[in-house]
Amino acid sequence: MLSSRRAFLATTGTLLLAGCSSDVLGLRRAVRVAVSWSGQELRAFHKVLDGLGTLDYPVEVVPLGDDISTAFATRSTRRPDVVMLPQPGLVPRHLDDLEPIPDDLAPLGRARLWKDLLVHDGTTYGVPFKTAHKSAVWYRPSLFQQVGVQPPRLWSDWLTLNRTLTQAGVTPLSLAAGDGWVLTDFLENILLGIAPSVYEGLATATDPRPSQQPQFAAALRLLGTMWSAPDVLAGGVKESLVQQFPDALIEVFGHRRAAMVLASDFAEPVVRSFAADPNDIGLFTFPPMGPGAAAPVVVGGDVMVLQEPTTDDARDLVRRLSAPTAADPWIKEGGFLVDGRVTGYSPELTRLAEQLTKPGEQLHFDLSDRLGRLGDINGLWRVLTDFLIEVGGRGAAVVPGAVDDAVAEMRKVEEG
Amino acid sequence: MGLQTNGLSLEVVGREITGRPVPGKPRRPAGPYLLGLPALLLSCLLLVPIGVTVVAAFRTPGGFGFGNFAVMGDPGALRAVGNSLLWVLVAFGIVVVGFLLALLSYRLPAVTTYLQPALVIPFAVSVLVSGATFRLLFDPTPERGTVTAVWTRLFGTSPVWLGPGLFWLVLVSAFGWTWLGYVVSLFRAGLDAIPDDVTRTITAEGVRGWRRLRALEIPLLRPITGVVTLTVVIAAVRVFDLVLIVVPGSMQRSADVLGLNWWRATTTGDDTGRTAALGVVLFAIVAAVGLIGVRGLRRRRWAMPVTVVRPDPTLERPKPGRVVRRYGWLTGLAVALVWIFPAVVLVATAFHSPDVAGVRGWWSVSGLGFSSFAAAANVGLFRALLSTLIIAAAATAVLLVIAVPTAYLVAWGGLPTRLGRVVMAVFVVLAVTPVQMYAAPLRDAIDAAGLAGSRIALALVHAAAGLPFAVLLLRSAFASAPPALVSEALQGPVRQSAVLATVQRTYRPALIAVAVLEFALVWNDFIVGFLISGPGTTPLSLVLWGEARQFSASSGPVAAAAVVASVVPAVLMLSFWRTVVRGLTTGSRP
Repeated sequence: MLSSRRAFLATTGTLLLAGCSSDVLGLRRAVRVAVSWSGQELRAFHKVLDGLGTLDYPVEVVPLGDDISTAFATRSTRRPDVVMLPQPGLVPRHLDDLEPIPDDLAPLGRARLWKDLLVHDGTTYGVPFKTAHKSAVWYRPSLFQQVGVQPPRLWSDWLTLNRTLTQAGVTPLSLAAGDGWVLTDFLENILLGIAPSVYEGLATATDPRPSQQPQFAAALRLLGTMWSAPDVLAGGVKESLVQQFPDALIEVFGHRRAAMVLASDFAEPVVRSFAADPNDIGLFTFPPMGPGAAAPVVVGGDVMVLQEPTTDDARDLVRRLSAPTAADPWIKEGGFLVDGRVTGYSPELTRLAEQLTKPGEQLHFDLSDRLGRLGDINGLWRVLTDFLIEVGGRGAAVVPGAVDDAVAEMRKVEEG
Repeated sequence: MGLQTNGLSLEVVGREITGRPVPGKPRRPAGPYLLGLPALLLSCLLLVPIGVTVVAAFRTPGGFGFGNFAVMGDPGALRAVGNSLLWVLVAFGIVVVGFLLALLSYRLPAVTTYLQPALVIPFAVSVLVSGATFRLLFDPTPERGTVTAVWTRLFGTSPVWLGPGLFWLVLVSAFGWTWLGYVVSLFRAGLDAIPDDVTRTITAEGVRGWRRLRALEIPLLRPITGVVTLTVVIAAVRVFDLVLIVVPGSMQRSADVLGLNWWRATTTGDDTGRTAALGVVLFAIVAAVGLIGVRGLRRRRWAMPVTVVRPDPTLERPKPGRVVRRYGWLTGLAVALVWIFPAVVLVATAFHSPDVAGVRGWWSVSGLGFSSFAAAANVGLFRALLSTLIIAAAATAVLLVIAVPTAYLVAWGGLPTRLGRVVMAVFVVLAVTPVQMYAAPLRDAIDAAGLAGSRIALALVHAAAGLPFAVLLLRSAFASAPPALVSEALQGPVRQSAVLATVQRTYRPALIAVAVLEFALVWNDFIVGFLISGPGTTPLSLVLWGEARQFSASSGPVAAAAVVASVVPAVLMLSFWRTVVRGLTTGSRP
């Protein structure tokens, strides 16, 4: 008894000593990377880090979810060294907190689309890591065949398609209203489709006032027309509100209760791992809003930024993650697009990547990410959530009132 | 009555001597005061930042004043205050339900056989784990969510349990699941300690039902009710991580509580004065509850007897009849099964592969295996566990080393009465202080000292936060040692070993209770590590939280991480529960 207890104590002691490496005690300065990913994306990012080989420093991944902007909080200590910022629109607002990107990497931040966000006064403050195509709709081809319909070529086709599906007893849409950014993506596509210049104007304004733009209200009206159709949403508004982004995908492909879902390219691994039939996966891009108009393409992404003051280790990590092959493990998992690259993806993602690189496309960066406070959880997300609650499944008659309410609410946020 | 022989005068008194036998003041040696020095230093880790926060709350650009408290006019902040007060009501409800359950289990003695462990397990796991468990249970799809599935089967359709308004049910269930076991156990210990002769007298006088409850149980359990209410109410006001994990993002605004509101305000770079004002309001609510609770404690007239000599077994309560026993035994088993059910759901989900757990419920027979554990390990679970273990062990060790001498000083150290009272009041206030009061300044100080991210610094903060409660608990245990033994020990080497043995027997439960509770508390901590060291340092909780953004799609890994994280505290609590309850209830004089 005594000897076994002694042995136990000795083992525990040894284990504790071994565990007390400076790394675990937090004395050794690890490079901390803040990310907004979770679930499969988070695991894929860990695979990317593992693929970098042996590093001279420990790397700590800090999952911050939707609260990623807390990485910049003025009083936040132990700031992450590297932030994988899903809202590159925040870069211009935090120039004082950011360290310029080393010269050898700077050209990466000057690519098309990114340049406006990441370069200020000739200095580059970020490097794109992951690009997102936010104008993709995933659907089940078998259902479309069964009902005898085709993916829509115009917005009006889409409304007709929804009606046809509903009449055939199929619920057309699944909506992840639990995640506000899904709702803003919807609105942004419509606004970009009907008024690209207004969209661009709002994105670049120093003091954007969406509520004063008639096109903003027009986009809300169009959105309301789709959402207010009876039985258009799987589970109705209540269930939509508790659905997070992957839940909506599972509703379509796993539980097969809806036909399609607006979801970015990064939905791919979720779709594939939960699909009841792996061959029943289709994808179309957001249709043009009218004949002759260009199809909207909303682009998002995660950029790597270095917080001030930075270390050589953090620079080294950013350099390694910017290498062309660094993201390969994630690309293999699916749901990852690299800026400017069109090969190595699944057929669906290849189509999206080609649209992103084709000249002449109506490409614009995600608006809500550029609106700062107005576009986040207390701004546009909240306004659109309330809008959905007001119109969801209640028929076209409620739309005008709901649009007025939403515009008034937005004005309050702008003045707030 | 007096006695005189050979010039020696003896006086026999019919009661304990309370005053001093010799007029004048005894010399107070300064030595014992040194015992309190480490505690004073450690408490400064909290006291100084609290002072900084209070000053910041009242400092406005135009001097000192209440200007910062205008933040309370904000509708968001008002809603948060309202919700926090609602949580206090929930806490009172849980205390009442717990009391009734304890009474039931007391009247049906065999009930406790299975009930006890079933009630302890939820108390041992972290709030984050219990939140995750209830979110799994109440998932809105009938394929995954147990409650939704049963409801749909019975009534055709099911309400969306996590939807607007109804998410409160999920929150309160998770909170109640965590705390009810603690409440019942403590009340039950109190009921068991009621001397049998008192019970018999009351029964003989024919006092029954509600009158008996008011005449016997309620007044006698008042001290325990104080302790229980205090702990549960404070836990309710501090609710933070539960809301984060249970409530879907679209409704977090309506579920906002003060602690969360404060955190959002600090992270969005709100003015320091205004966030400090929010912290002070939160603190004022908790302190008010705390002080009322302590007043309740002070009024206690009856203390739990310390068992120095085992009572004669023949004098115990008569054993109930066989039928009653069997009936109680069955009821206990049924309640225990219901109570343990959420834990079963969690474990069963963890043993499904991530792909299956994301689509189907825990009852599915396909996809069984360990792949969810592998997926959880992939995001750094084991490194996180090791780190948590070190923080928890260090905090517990530091706490014991510092709390024991301090408690001795306060109990027997001969502190002047007034100083003793002040010290106790400070400890009570510190014990209920929410972490929001000291997080921001402390974080800055740790950062400035270049210790940012150090696990040692975090362990020290934990020890400082646990110190007040530990001292309060140990002090009442120390003070409850029989006065005769104390005077013998103080007067000389009379039967020193016997004194020590008894004293040790009296204190051991309290010491073990402090150690076990502190270890479990630190192990399960989310908020202190989160607010002090920034995200990512209390990794265990953060692994869970990191997955929460895609909660149901990650059900498998979330459940696996939760199970792994809960094994240590659950085993610890189950092994020491009886001792912990004894330790928590042995306190006598306030």
